[in-house]
Amino acid sequence: MAQQGNVGELLPMLDSPILGVLEDITAAFKDNLICDRGPMLVNNLVDYYLETNSQQALHILSTLQEPHDKHLLDKINDYMGKAATRLPTLSLLGHVIRRQPSWKHKLSQAPLLLSLLKCLKTDTDVVVLTTGVLVLITMLPMIPQSGKQYLHDFFGIFGRLSAWCLQNPGHVAEIYLVHLHASVYSLFHRLYGMYPCNFVSFLRSHYSMKENLETFEEVVKPMMEHVRIHPELVTGSKDHELDPRRWKRLETHDVVIECAKISLDPAEASYEDGYYSVSRKLCTSLKHHQTDPSASSYIDTQSSYGTSTPYSTPRLTLSQMPGQLPQILSPQSTRLSTEPQQVTIWSPSAVCGMTTPPTSPGVVPSESSQSASQPYSKAFGTSAGGKGTPLGTPATSPPPPCTSDDFVHVSLPSAAATPPKKEDKPDSGRPLLYRQQNVINSDKSLDIPSSKSSVTLSDLPEFLGGLSFEDSAEKDREEDAISKEISEITTDAEHMVPRGGFDSPFYRTNESLSGSQKKTHSAASSVQGHSQTSEPLTSLDKPGPEGARETPKQTFTPIDKPCGGPGESPAGNREGTSGEPSILTPSPCKVPAQRRVVFGSGQPPLYEHLFEVALPKTAYLFVGKKTEELLKKAKGTQDEDCMSSTSPVEVLDRLIQQGADAHTKELNKLSLPSKSADWTHFGGSPPSDEIHTLRNQLLLLHNQLLYERFKRQQHALRNRRLLRKVIKATALEEHNAAMKDQLKLQEKEIQALKLSLQKEQARYHQFQEEHDNIVAQLHSQIRQLQHDREEFYNQSQELQTKLEDCRNMIADLRLELKKANNKVCHTELLLSQVSQKLSNSESVQQQMEFLNRQLLVLGEVNELYLEQLQHKHTDTTKEVEMLHAAFRKELEKAKSCVQQQSQKLDASQKRIAELESQLAKKDHLFLEQKKYLEDVKIQARGQLQAVESRYKAQKRITQAFELEILDLFGRLEKSSLLKKLEDDKTEAAEAAEERLDCGNEDTAGHSEETMGRNGETKPPSTRGSSSSKGGSSSELSTPEKPQNQRLSSRWDTSVLLEPSSTVPLTVGSLPSSKSFLGMKARELFRNKSESQCDEEGVTINRLSDALKTELCKDPSMESKAPPSPDNLSPKLQESSVGQLHIMDYNETHHDHS
Amino acid sequence: MADDSQRNFRSVYYEKVGFRGVEEKKSLEILLKDDRLDIEKLCTFSQRFPLPSMYRILVWKVLLGIIPPHHESHALVMKYRKEQYWDIHHALRVIRFINDSTPQVDVFLRMHQLESGKLPRNVAFPLEPEDEVFLAIAKAMEEMVEDPIECYWLVSCFVNQLNSKHKDSLQQLPKILEQYLNIEDNRLLMHLKACAAMSKLPYDLWFKKCFAGCLPESSLQRVWDKVISGSCKILVFVAVEILLTFKMKIIALNSAEKITQFLENIPQDNTDAIVSKAVDLWRTHCGTPAHSV
Repeated sequence: MAQQGNVGELLPMLDSPILGVLEDITAAFKDNLICDRGPMLVNNLVDYYLETNSQQALHILSTLQEPHDKHLLDKINDYMGKAATRLPTLSLLGHVIRRQPSWKHKLSQAPLLLSLLKCLKTDTDVVVLTTGVLVLITMLPMIPQSGKQYLHDFFGIFGRLSAWCLQNPGHVAEIYLVHLHASVYSLFHRLYGMYPCNFVSFLRSHYSMKENLETFEEVVKPMMEHVRIHPELVTGSKDHELDPRRWKRLETHDVVIECAKISLDPAEASYEDGYYSVSRKLCTSLKHHQTDPSASSYIDTQSSYGTSTPYSTPRLTLSQMPGQLPQILSPQSTRLSTEPQQVTIWSPSAVCGMTTPPTSPGVVPSESSQSASQPYSKAFGTSAGGKGTPLGTPATSPPPPCTSDDFVHVSLPSAAATPPKKEDKPDSGRPLLYRQQNVINSDKSLDIPSSKSSVTLSDLPEFLGGLSFEDSAEKDREEDAISKEISEITTDAEHMVPRGGFDSPFYRTNESLSGSQKKTHSAASSVQGHSQTSEPLTSLDKPGPEGARETPKQTFTPIDKPCGGPGESPAGNREGTSGEPSILTPSPCKVPAQRRVVFGSGQPPLYEHLFEVALPKTAYLFVGKKTEELLKKAKGTQDEDCMSSTSPVEVLDRLIQQGADAHTKELNKLSLPSKSADWTHFGGSPPSDEIHTLRNQLLLLHNQLLYERFKRQQHALRNRRLLRKVIKATALEEHNAAMKDQLKLQEKEIQALKLSLQKEQARYHQFQEEHDNIVAQLHSQIRQLQHDREEFYNQSQELQTKLEDCRNMIADLRLELKKANNKVCHTELLLSQVSQKLSNSESVQQQMEFLNRQLLVLGEVNELYLEQLQHKHTDTTKEVEMLHAAFRKELEKAKSCVQQQSQKLDASQKRIAELESQLAKKDHLFLEQKKYLEDVKIQARGQLQAVESRYKAQKRITQAFELEILDLFGRLEKSSLLKKLEDDKTEAAEAAEERLDCGNEDTAGHSEETMGRNGETKPPSTRGSSSSKGGSSSELSTPEKPQNQRLSSRWDTSVLLEPSSTVPLTVGSLPSSKSFLGMKARELFRNKSESQCDEEGVTINRLSDALKTELCKDPSMESKAPPSPDNLSPKLQESSVGQLHIMDYNETHHDHS
Repeated sequence: MADDSQRNFRSVYYEKVGFRGVEEKKSLEILLKDDRLDIEKLCTFSQRFPLPSMYRILVWKVLLGIIPPHHESHALVMKYRKEQYWDIHHALRVIRFINDSTPQVDVFLRMHQLESGKLPRNVAFPLEPEDEVFLAIAKAMEEMVEDPIECYWLVSCFVNQLNSKHKDSLQQLPKILEQYLNIEDNRLLMHLKACAAMSKLPYDLWFKKCFAGCLPESSLQRVWDKVISGSCKILVFVAVEILLTFKMKIIALNSAEKITQFLENIPQDNTDAIVSKAVDLWRTHCGTPAHSV
């Protein structure tokens, strides 16, 4: 706390005049702020600032860091609530915000914003409103997305203030309204730029109401003339433009530029990217088809004719030298014409630039002032010589932020003040001279770089160095001009003051420029031209290199950033020191600053006089005539244009200029130096109201100024970025060029390689041809040789065949020789044999002769013996002959006999074979038969099975029937018994006998059976079993009775016995089935009896009989119960007889068979 | 196999590729052309292949001995059969066991009872369990065969065959069923045992009635082909296959009563597949009959 208290006590010392103390104290405060987090010190500081308006306190407050922001905002919010402290609080807020503290995003959440909005909505003080609106406008781009919740508040404020501008409910001075209008205009731009859709819909809804219609017509509609259609209106939507994503990408300065882009107001607008104004495009295109098509020249022209020149300069020249105008329209020619000059002019200076050592800063002004009166070439030379100074002193000069703003501020009024003084047009006397000098100077400076800019990329580095020098040279040239003008002022001030009320010749020149511009253009465009020409120049003083970017120079030297910045800064420094006081007291000492403006405005047309030199006379005349006509026309329309659309900013500018004019006039009239004396001199103390008004006005102006400065800062930020882009672009271009070179080199290489390839190919072809020739030769040789070889081969073959033949001949000969030898040997052998045979045959001949003699002797003996024999054996020969014949015949007989026998044998053998085959056949047949039999048996068995099953079924059926019948009988019996018991009880004894009979039934059955069998077996013919049965049954009772009768009687009894029951039906069906069954059974039994032994047959018969008797017995038994006992004995006898008979029969039967 | 020349030489390949029954009809025709039909061969054929429906009744009649193997005696035997049928029918009418309004199945039952000598004394006499079996089989057979006489004979002989030939093996079937179920799906068997449903399975329906009333006639015919040709084991496999097919549902059921109830009323939509699978299963487990057709 002690420390706290100490710091609190230190507060008053903040504004101590002693520099060391000041630094110590600020350092102490900052330390304290770092250490302490409490709100005390901040609150104290704010209080102190509001009390004393201390700059140091403001500085500390505006650089507050994060933890203190809340306290500061709270404190400001507190003070905002009070009407008395509202204005200073707002200005403090404005200061703080313009610093763009790191915690600016918190603003949207702070209650301060709400109270600011509330204040703007409710306050009636114009000064407060204007200040607040400016603060709000400054704040808006910082909090684009978070500000959306207050969107309708913003719109509401806009609506209120725009209405205020018109209706003036507070009845404040008109002068305030101008300020207010200007700030509302800014707000309009900001809102339209940031939230077009919402804003337009607000406008639509708000101004559709009738009471607001007037405001719209008077205030809003003119504003709308200064904006283009926002692209977001087409592509965006209400929600989209409030989308945080949209704003995230944009920084504060981006937002500001975005807003400036859509403005058509030259004071607000910024041309970037695709936002070039139509007019500009027109002019560039116009130039474009006049210039040669190469890109470098195009850039030149476009850059040299910048934003404002094309239209303003021609008109400008009209007033002084109309003939020069057309030359601007044909920039190519001008450049062509200037370039040669350029070369002559520039070459020494360039040499100088490279060689001259840097001179001391103190020398420069003197040199420049000397050179100012010299011809331009010389002045140039000197300026080139003096360029060293800025280079030498960059570090020593801290960049003053306020100065540039001041310049803008000052220059604007000077430009805006001109329109009322239209009498300036003709005055192109002395000032023109100076201007022309300036023109010449700057023209040179313009053209030099332009010529330079066509330098190829290869020597870019050198060029860059040169440019950096040029920049500084330029600066010095301006300095020269300034000093020149200062000298002019000293001499010509008396002449000028009475004439135009201008405090310096620069005003006049400036005015003449702007006036001439206005002749052809609307007031707005004149301001545009002015501001654009002046702004670049003022921006020269800015610390950054971007300042230079906007100047015409910038276009010439796209890559001047390394040295440009430092080079310019000293100038700004110098200017700044002088400019600082001029804010508070608009006095002649502003002149140095204003000079710049004049110089700047005079710059664009500087090279006009060169056109005169360059153009042919005829063209010059023609163009002159044309422009004169245009001028006349323009004059006619000028006034209406001026009336139709003046932006509030312009109005404000004019107001300020007017005020400044009035002020200077007044001051000039006075001989007295002090201001306070002025007022007293004229009529005592000035009215307090007036003072208050003026003070407020001043305040408003300051606010406006601060706002403009803020905008400028944003522009500066933007420029920095753009510069980076340009650097990149150029680097890329360079790279591209390098690549192109490389490409060219490679192409060349490729071509060289192609050439060598062709050569090689040609050589190769040659070689190949040679080779082919050689090959062909060799081939022909080979062919020849081959031919030879073939011939030789043939010869050798011939020879070989001959050889073969010879050999063959030799072999033949040899063979012949062998044969001959053989023959010789053979013949020799034969010869020896023949000789032997010969000897043999001789001996044989001797033997033959001997034998022949013997044969003759023996023959004679034989004949003798034959004669003897013939005489002795004549009878025996006959007998022998007979015997021979007999034997021969016998032999023949025997032979035939044998033959017969053998034939028989054959026949019998054949027969045997035949029989055997037959036997086999028969066997086979037999087998087949057997098989067949088997088959048939199986077949029969199958059938038999079916039949058997049928039979079984029948048996079952009959059983079922029997069961049924028995059942029925049982029932009948019961019923009949009951009847009988009722009818004759006397016959009870008979009933008992009956039962006895029933007991004897078995024996009776036996007898019957035997009887039945007898009946059956005895007549085996066609008699049916029924008849036999009938017989058996009848035999029981009366064998004498005819069958029919018995049957009928039985039937009768049955009918009689069963009159009521349904049995007759079944009984009636009995005979048919019975007969059928009987037939079948008989067949069966007959078969069996025939094939099998008797006993079996007996059993079967018994069975069948038992069945039959059972079926028919009961009724008959009942009916014939009484007589039966009598017949018992004979029956038995008969049965025994029958049995005997059977035996007999069987015996007889056996006999028969 | 004397008629090999008449058979399509591709028949071997048909079977290899998996077309069953392409040549079966032809071979069956060849078999049926023989005079004195070879019952052995017919049995084997009917075991190995599904019978064509146009010859099914004929084959059944031959196999069941309703008609003899000789073609010549067919007409005669059938005449006998017919007469026998009408005799019994008439007798029953006479003793008023049946009349015109008696359902055909009851008529068959009474006739069968009469033939087997088991005709009750009274029409109102309660039915024996074997009569119930007869009725079920007769009902199924009635659907398959149009002629009442043939139908009666088929039913009667079929039941007789079951009672005579398969009587012993039928009683073994539940055990065999358990055995094969154990091989095929042990888990299901466990489940059934856990539910104590093994003893309560509808064995009467499956084995005594030979699935009559359980399977639709089209599927039943194929099962009966096998039964008539002498293999009653097929019944086991049909039962196993039914259990396997409805395994999920059976496992979902927990009480023996529910399982039995479900099995007694199995859905009729998929029975052809069940029978096909069952036949396959039977083949795999019992192998194809050794002797060829």
